[in-house]
Amino acid sequence: MSEPPIIRVQGLHKSFGKLEVLRGLDFEVSRGEVLAIIGPSGSGKSTLLRCLNFLEEYQAGEVLFNGQLVGYRRNGTGKLKLDSENNTRRIRARMGMVFQGFNLFPHKTVLENVMEGPLVVQRLSRHEAETRGRTLLARVGLIDKIGAYPAQLSGGQQQRAAIARALAMQPDAMLFDEPTSALDPELVGEVLEVMQALAAEGMTMVVVTHEMGFARQVADRVMVMDRGEIIELAPPAQVFGAPKSPRTAEFLRRVLH
Amino acid sequence: MDYIWQWNQIWDYRQVFVRGVQVTVILTCWALLIGMALGLLLGLMRSSRLLALRVPAAVYIDVFRATPILVQLVWIYYALPIISGVQMGNITSASVGIGLHSAAYIAEIFRAGIASIDRGQSDAAKSLGMGYGQAMRRIILPQAVRRMVPPFINEFATLMKLTTLGSVLAVNELLHEAENLINNTYRPLETYTAVAVVFGLLIYPFIWLSQRLEQRWKARG
Repeated sequence: MSEPPIIRVQGLHKSFGKLEVLRGLDFEVSRGEVLAIIGPSGSGKSTLLRCLNFLEEYQAGEVLFNGQLVGYRRNGTGKLKLDSENNTRRIRARMGMVFQGFNLFPHKTVLENVMEGPLVVQRLSRHEAETRGRTLLARVGLIDKIGAYPAQLSGGQQQRAAIARALAMQPDAMLFDEPTSALDPELVGEVLEVMQALAAEGMTMVVVTHEMGFARQVADRVMVMDRGEIIELAPPAQVFGAPKSPRTAEFLRRVLH
Repeated sequence: MDYIWQWNQIWDYRQVFVRGVQVTVILTCWALLIGMALGLLLGLMRSSRLLALRVPAAVYIDVFRATPILVQLVWIYYALPIISGVQMGNITSASVGIGLHSAAYIAEIFRAGIASIDRGQSDAAKSLGMGYGQAMRRIILPQAVRRMVPPFINEFATLMKLTTLGSVLAVNELLHEAENLINNTYRPLETYTAVAVVFGLLIYPFIWLSQRLEQRWKARG
C-alpha cells in the first residue's frame, strides 16, 4: 500500500492541568479502515478522539489529517502555533463526529439538523441541502421522521439522525464517541447496523466503543488503551483471541464475563 | 376616614397621562435598544475564553450593578458634561443612563443563558465545521434566548419602571407629568393610583406573552 494514511498520530500528549490523559500515542489509520478503540473508562479514549478533530487542544505531538497538521501550524522557526480558526474549521468539516449524547440541535427538525452543515458551512442551496438530507435520512431509515423534533424521537432514532447529520458533510472519515453507550439495550442494534453498513461502503471510521461484538466483527483493527497509553493495536482476531498484553487480557476478562 | 375619592378630575386631565405614556414609551424603547445591544456584547465578552475580553466586561457589570442608578443618571446628566464637554439633552441622558444600567443586568441574562446550553451543542456545531459566530447565531443563541425570556421580561418590566427616574432630570415621562398634575389638583392618591394602573396596563401584556411563549416552547421540548 503506497497510499499515505488518512490519519497519522505521532507522540500525542494531552493534559488537563496536571492530569496527563494521553501519554505519547503513535498510530495511523488508513483510508477505508475501521479502527475500534476499547479500554477501561478513564483510559483516554474519548479524549483521543476529540484531539483528532481538535475539539480538545493537545500539548505535544502531532495529529495529521490527509497529511495536514490539525489545529497547529509551523511558524518560520519550526515552532508550533495555534492555527487560525478557519483552517481548523476546514479540517473539522472533513471529519464527521457522532457523540455519545447525540447532541442534535433541539430547536431544529430532523431534516433541518441534517441540512445545517451543508447549508451553513458548505453554503449549498436550500434545495441541494434538502435533497442530500432526504437521501441520507432515507438511508438511516428515518424518512418518516423528517419533520419531527429530536425530543420526539427515541434514542436510537436520534443517534441515526446524528449519523446522517455528520454524513451530510460528505466527510473523508467518521469519528464515533461511544455512539451506543447512552442507548437502551434494545436500541443499540439499529445504530450498529447503520454503522456496519457505513463500514461496508468503505468509510474510514474511528470508533470508541464498549460494544465488543462490533469491535470483533466490524473493525479491521482494535486499539486497546489504558491510562493514556496504547497497550495493544492489532486485528480483532489477535486482540480477542491471543492478546499479547496481560492488561488487555485482564480488561477483556472483565468486560466479556 | 372621610376621604372622598375624586376620579373625575383624573379623567378630566387624561391628556396628561397620554403625553406621559408617550415619553415613557420612547424612553423605554431607547433604553431597551441600548441595553440589549450592549448587554449582548457584554454577555458574549463575559462568556469568552479570552481574559482581555472577560475582565473589562466583568468590571463594567459589577460597577453598574453595585452603584445606584439614580446616581448614574445624575452623573451622566450633570457630571459628564463637566468632564467631557458633552452635554446631552435630558431625554437622551435618561435613555443612555437607563440603557447603560440595564445592559449590566441584560449581560448577565445573556451569559447565564449561554452557559445553560449543553457543551455538546457547541461541540456538534464545531464538528460540522462551524465557526464561533455561526455556532452562536444558529445553534447556541436561539436555544439560549428561549431560556432567557422569563428573566428578560423581568428585566424589561424593571427597566420600564426605572424610566420614572427620568423625572429627576426633568424628563416629562409619566411620573413627572403626574407630579405636575398633583401640584394643580392636590389629588396625589388618585393620581399615583392612576400612574400604577397605567404602568400595569403597559407591562402586563408582556408578562402574559412571556408565559404563553414558555408554554409553547415547553410543549415542543
